[in-house]
Amino acid sequence: MKTIHLFILFVLVALIQLFVPAQMIFNQENTLDEGKAYKFRTQPIDPTDPFRGKYITLRYDINAYPTTDSIWEPQQDIFVYLKTDSLGFAKIDQVSKIPLEAESEYIIAIVNVYDKYQDVLRIHLPFDRFYMKETKAKDAEIAHRKAQRDSLPNNTYALVFVKDGASVLENVFINDIPISDYVEK
Amino acid sequence: MHSKIIKELPDLIKNEVISKEVALKIESYYRSKEEDTPNKLFLVFGVFGSLLIGLGLILILAHNWDQFSRAIKTIFAFLPLIIGQLFVGYSILKKKSRTWKEASGTFLFFAVGASMALVSQIYHLPGDLSSFLLTWMLLCLPVIYLLKSHVLGILHIVFATYFACESGYGYSSSGNSPWLYILMIALVLPHYYMLLKQNPKANITSLLNWFIPLSATIVLGAFVETNYSIGFLLYIILFGLFYNIGKIPFFYKQQLRRNGYIIIGSIGTIIILLWTSFTWIWEDLIREVVFFSNEFYIAIALFLGTLAVLGYSYYKKWMKEFHLFQYVFIFFSMLFFFGFSSETIPTILVNVLLFVLGLITIKIGADRFHFGVLNYGLFIITSLVVCRFFDTNMSFVIRGLLFVTVGFGFFITNYWMLKKQKQILKK
Repeated sequence: MKTIHLFILFVLVALIQLFVPAQMIFNQENTLDEGKAYKFRTQPIDPTDPFRGKYITLRYDINAYPTTDSIWEPQQDIFVYLKTDSLGFAKIDQVSKIPLEAESEYIIAIVNVYDKYQDVLRIHLPFDRFYMKETKAKDAEIAHRKAQRDSLPNNTYALVFVKDGASVLENVFINDIPISDYVEK
Repeated sequence: MHSKIIKELPDLIKNEVISKEVALKIESYYRSKEEDTPNKLFLVFGVFGSLLIGLGLILILAHNWDQFSRAIKTIFAFLPLIIGQLFVGYSILKKKSRTWKEASGTFLFFAVGASMALVSQIYHLPGDLSSFLLTWMLLCLPVIYLLKSHVLGILHIVFATYFACESGYGYSSSGNSPWLYILMIALVLPHYYMLLKQNPKANITSLLNWFIPLSATIVLGAFVETNYSIGFLLYIILFGLFYNIGKIPFFYKQQLRRNGYIIIGSIGTIIILLWTSFTWIWEDLIREVVFFSNEFYIAIALFLGTLAVLGYSYYKKWMKEFHLFQYVFIFFSMLFFFGFSSETIPTILVNVLLFVLGLITIKIGADRFHFGVLNYGLFIITSLVVCRFFDTNMSFVIRGLLFVTVGFGFFITNYWMLKKQKQILKK
């Protein structure tokens, strides 16, 4: 193969290599700009990823949804329609196996399992990782635990932008302060 | 190596082994050869440099610098990627040396990973490690072929193995078989084939001769989801496949250390046989085996593949003499499927098989005057004896005598061979 042909092929590959992260960024920015913001009550714990660094895994209060409909397969896509409660936190309005013609925003999540003993559907929401500076991730977990002990109920929440099924985790807050700032205090 | 020969030349002239003219010819021959080949050391350092810088970059970015804004972090995500791409583009366009291509390719590989990792961090993207690794590998795959880069080929195999372990063995995985691993390896095989055809004796080729069977050995277990006892069968067939590939004259004629297939195949077969030489393994096997499962179908496919290699060798008349090692997988498969009536018969047969394999290996070693092979045979028999040592139902005296006999065996065979070798040298 001629050098110029090889070079042209490489330019194509290079463009794909640039396109993939750019596409990732574009989708996220679009949801952040135009999506609706929801607050999800959450509990963080801290693990590590070898390439992407420290993060906290977020477990949400709405990970469990009480329903009598028991026909759910693990790993199945689920459309989770949202509403907000009186305190402004996100709640599940309804769930569905297919998209509905509903007014409210929805998230495309994954079914973990249907717990037939408690009649509860366990859902895996797609924004369960919050990457943090490596020195802060462990402290974040501890800070959340401490904040839990005060008089308020669960005051840790994730701010998530939602648009047409896509969702972007913008930040995590403890007592309305961004978690990375809260840890520094 | 060459400089060593050149250094010896004055001594050879002094002792009148060769004439001055011959010495000059030898020297100019090696000097011209050196000019043709790129400096290997430079290549190795270049690649290691890129590898370390790339990995370091990923680690630095993984710190998660939260004092920078999203825009600045995004620039940092693309910067190493674009630098890597410029270097690779330059090496292709200017037809730079192997060193340039390998080093820039290695850097680009890690730059792609760093860029994706940083974007994932900035937007807290979900997705487990295995899907991250898969996207990374796919984005870098074409560069292997565009640069004809061997280091990228090896990195691809290493990362495919990592991916398979992460998605197949990981505790977070729900025990999914990493089917995409097969595709990933298949995608790099054309490069390997080209290398075998064009540079069969290069060091990098022999490295791949080790990496590919090693990777498959590590990953095969990830395909075993619940049916653990079929794992023994799967592994012995895989090792049979490697042994038979290693016996193909193309590999077999090369030095033994370059033939990873035959070494991994042979040692792997012995380990599995030693394992299954215990009665309790067969007792468990009888209880656990589930036929017509995922693992069972994989075993059948592997078996047919190995049989095809064996049949092809036979058809090509490559098999001049009978080698029991090549047929162990057939024998073991029959035992596995027909030995369910009792656990005693398969146990005895596996022990006999191991003993015979040990004896055959000793004989091959003795015939070829190969101390390594001879002692490997003795080692097989010793291991068998050690395993039987743990079976408590054998009398201590018998076990003791067995050990003493094998110990003498080591002395006598090695001594006999040394003596024979000296005699031949004298003649």
